[in-house]
Amino acid sequence: MTDLPRNQHIIASGLVAAVGVTVAYISYTAQPAAAFLFPRIISTVFVVLALWTFGKALLGRTKVGNGLSATAIRNILPGLVVALVYVFWAAQTLGFYTASTITFFILVTLYDPAPHGEVKSWVRRIIITAGFLAVMYGLFAMLLNVFTPREIFF
Amino acid sequence: MKNLIAAASIALMGLTGAAAADGHANYPERPMMLMVSYGAGGATDFQARIVTMTAGNDDALGMPIAIINKPGAGGRVGWNWFATQAEADGYTLGAYNIPHFIAQSIEGGVEYGADSFEPIANWGADPAVFVVAADSPFNSMADVVNYAKENPGGLTFSGAGLFVGHHIAALQLEKAAGVKLAYIPNSKGGAGAMKAVIAGEVLGGVNNLSDAFRAREAGNVKILGVFDLERNDFLPDVPTMMEQGYDIDNASVNFRGVMVPKGTPQPIIDKLAEIVPTMFANGRVAGKMKAGGSPMHIMNRAEVQEMWAAREKTLKELLAGL
Amino acid sequence: MEFIYYFGDVFTPFNFMLLLLGTVGGLILGATPGLSPTMAVALLIPFTFRLEPASGLILLGAAYTSTVAGGAVSAILLKIPGAPANIATTLDGHTMAKKGEGARALQLSFIASAVGGVFGVLLLIFLTPLLAQWALAFGPSHLFWLAILGVTIIGSLDSSSVVKGLLSGCIGLWLATIGFDDIMGAQRFIFHSSVSGGINVIPALIGLFAIPQVITMFAKGRARLDAEVLSVEKHPISKAFREVFNRFRALSIGTITGSIIGLIPGVGGQIAGLVAYDQAKKMSPERGKFGTGHSEGVIAAESANNAMVGPSLVPLLTLSIPGSPTAAVLLGGLLIHGIFPGSDLFDNYPEVAWTFINSMLIGQILMCIFGLYIAGLAARVAQVPNNVMAAVVLGLAVFGSYSVQNSMGDVYIMMALGTGMFFLERFGFSAAPLVLGLILGPIAEANFIQGSMIANATSSIGSYFFTGPLNLLLIGIVVASVAYSGWMELRSRRYTTKDDAVAKEEALS
Repeated sequence: MTDLPRNQHIIASGLVAAVGVTVAYISYTAQPAAAFLFPRIISTVFVVLALWTFGKALLGRTKVGNGLSATAIRNILPGLVVALVYVFWAAQTLGFYTASTITFFILVTLYDPAPHGEVKSWVRRIIITAGFLAVMYGLFAMLLNVFTPREIFF
Repeated sequence: MKNLIAAASIALMGLTGAAAADGHANYPERPMMLMVSYGAGGATDFQARIVTMTAGNDDALGMPIAIINKPGAGGRVGWNWFATQAEADGYTLGAYNIPHFIAQSIEGGVEYGADSFEPIANWGADPAVFVVAADSPFNSMADVVNYAKENPGGLTFSGAGLFVGHHIAALQLEKAAGVKLAYIPNSKGGAGAMKAVIAGEVLGGVNNLSDAFRAREAGNVKILGVFDLERNDFLPDVPTMMEQGYDIDNASVNFRGVMVPKGTPQPIIDKLAEIVPTMFANGRVAGKMKAGGSPMHIMNRAEVQEMWAAREKTLKELLAGL
Repeated sequence: MEFIYYFGDVFTPFNFMLLLLGTVGGLILGATPGLSPTMAVALLIPFTFRLEPASGLILLGAAYTSTVAGGAVSAILLKIPGAPANIATTLDGHTMAKKGEGARALQLSFIASAVGGVFGVLLLIFLTPLLAQWALAFGPSHLFWLAILGVTIIGSLDSSSVVKGLLSGCIGLWLATIGFDDIMGAQRFIFHSSVSGGINVIPALIGLFAIPQVITMFAKGRARLDAEVLSVEKHPISKAFREVFNRFRALSIGTITGSIIGLIPGVGGQIAGLVAYDQAKKMSPERGKFGTGHSEGVIAAESANNAMVGPSLVPLLTLSIPGSPTAAVLLGGLLIHGIFPGSDLFDNYPEVAWTFINSMLIGQILMCIFGLYIAGLAARVAQVPNNVMAAVVLGLAVFGSYSVQNSMGDVYIMMALGTGMFFLERFGFSAAPLVLGLILGPIAEANFIQGSMIANATSSIGSYFFTGPLNLLLIGIVVASVAYSGWMELRSRRYTTKDDAVAKEEALS
């Protein structure tokens, strides 16, 4: 095992332990105490297990989990950013169908194995995107009658 | 430059104003939604679906109403959303449950109160009733109260949660009979509370008249009393609490109706207040409601406003002791 | 045998057409990631307004049956369970699909579903009065122990590390406490307005399973598809049938566990598959193969979650108490026609009650036939290019989680949990125990509080939770389950080295 996963393990289990400690702190201080009986029991076990895991990570004895390679992080980053912007900003602001269509097209293009210079592949991606929009609209707006937030364009 | 911006903004306001005025005349132009703060299949959801089924008719609103459910925390989630996030454009309606939301607003911790909403019309009144299992030794409220007197705090009875109609009824019963009871709120609502009674987990329970009526038809429970001013058409043989000597009024009756968020344009409120009660009075609606064992009680906007104000006063007094 | 008399009603041309429509529609909706059986059934209620009671119920019964089975399709092919019931199916089913055995996994799951489903409906037909007593026997103390039994499974479920499995479960249990608490209405851990309503299981489920899949697809980058195209091996149906019946132990464990647990109001449907999977694993001589694409895992999980369909309706049909959200929606479908379910339902409306039950029986078989027919086609989903698949799943996840209760907050929760889960998974945590914690937390808590309130009013907490045959039986099972897991852990630790664990992990990811 190289050092990269080991440090990653320390960070990940450290974050989990930090969440655990915060939860436990809130559980033991918040009012009304009766409503926090159950969170107290859970958070105690949570903290014990999380510290155990963190300790193992510090000692480098973590057995499972492969961590993330630098290539994987490079590959993930653009897609993840697009997805997060889509969910946390665009869906509400631009409207579900508009935002989904744009995101869909960007993601399909970003991760398309075909070279981006090829005209044929652009046409193919546009057709796929149109098909996706049609299916989503048919399923959610027409069949399931879901009221999505108002669209910006229509 | 400043003038230009001012002129532009005035023009813009004029435009939107004109559009709004125009919109009110033709309202409603698109389908509407009715937010129900309980899950699909619950009594409120079920009744809301029935009373809105004729909304699309020409003599009603001319546009269909879709039900959307926002359940959670005894209705708090849905009403919080309705008070803070729902658009006040007349296309977002909400179902209210009295006394639930008023009691919750008195208890605190929520973002709404009686003045966050504008009532439109009331469709139903579902009184709370006291039920016991079919094989229970109790045959009247006097038996229940005597047992409670012999075992202070030992009479367990279920209800749908805290600060809902059932809880109010329980508090009223404790106060009127002068006994201490063990109210066990159920996390699964009225259905869970009814199961607890039938299964014998508790000695009795407060439940909705409509659900209790069904359970009695199925031979699973006895109904000992109604928490209302008068006997109910569905249960003409069951006496009210008042008749059995307990000074309990109709504060716990679960009124259900339609409201809109505060800030909805007045012309839209007026139009809804005029049409919605007639929509509830439709014969097909009444037939389905009766078939489902759900008591109807249609009230117009003015009557509902009065009822809300009266409830708020009673509940404040009742909950002050907690 | 009265039900045979009413079989004719199912086969009138109109009713049969509705049955087909419900089955096929249910399969498709169930297979769409993000749509739960409850939603599918709620969606159909307005249609039933206009139908005769019996016809309306045929439609609902068929849709209910097949959405539960349809959930297996996305669980197997995409590792996205359609409903909590299908979580256990992902464990072995998706691993099989990755090995190119998607068609085989789907065939096994549909056949096992049909066997379990038919058994469950037969129980409903023949033993309803008896089952009703059993359903009522579970009071707060018993439900509490049952939830604890579920918690004991967490550690051994889908994780090469017991500690991380338990820790994942704890995170789930904590997430379940967020929001207003159900009984007292107190606010807990509301750090953002999105979570004020608590974390709904369905959006959480979508996020925890679908989003890590999407990000994993991103991680592969713009790799040429043919570099790792998944082969989809053809698999003859007759072989699948033989395999299901040869795995008789897994099939019977799944069917029986599903039927028993499905009966318990409010708990059953969601955990039946997981409990059956765990039991099948513990009783199998090949338990080491579970989680690596072993057919017993798929068979046990899927037979259990369809076996639960019939018994789960017992409390509704005999006591008028809906035991699950789906049952609550079905109750609405009955009430709208003025039919009150209750012990005399079969005397007053035999034509409605029996037709409904028969339609579920026939529905199970139709579901199996259609399922097998589409299995070969559906398995080709594995050949959809990564880039398209990632974008489609992301879109469905957003729409699906929004449509559960028209809430943007649910979409945020879905995405936040999903992104977090992707990173946690890279470090040995897993989603299945986390979801199990999320489901079991409220059951354990609410029943503990109700139980102790009743206990305080009547006797003492000790005698309420620790006496009575059913309590003792459940405690015994809990103790046995923990002891067995601990023993297995110690034994396997002696034989596995760190390298083995890493190798197994790599084979899985």
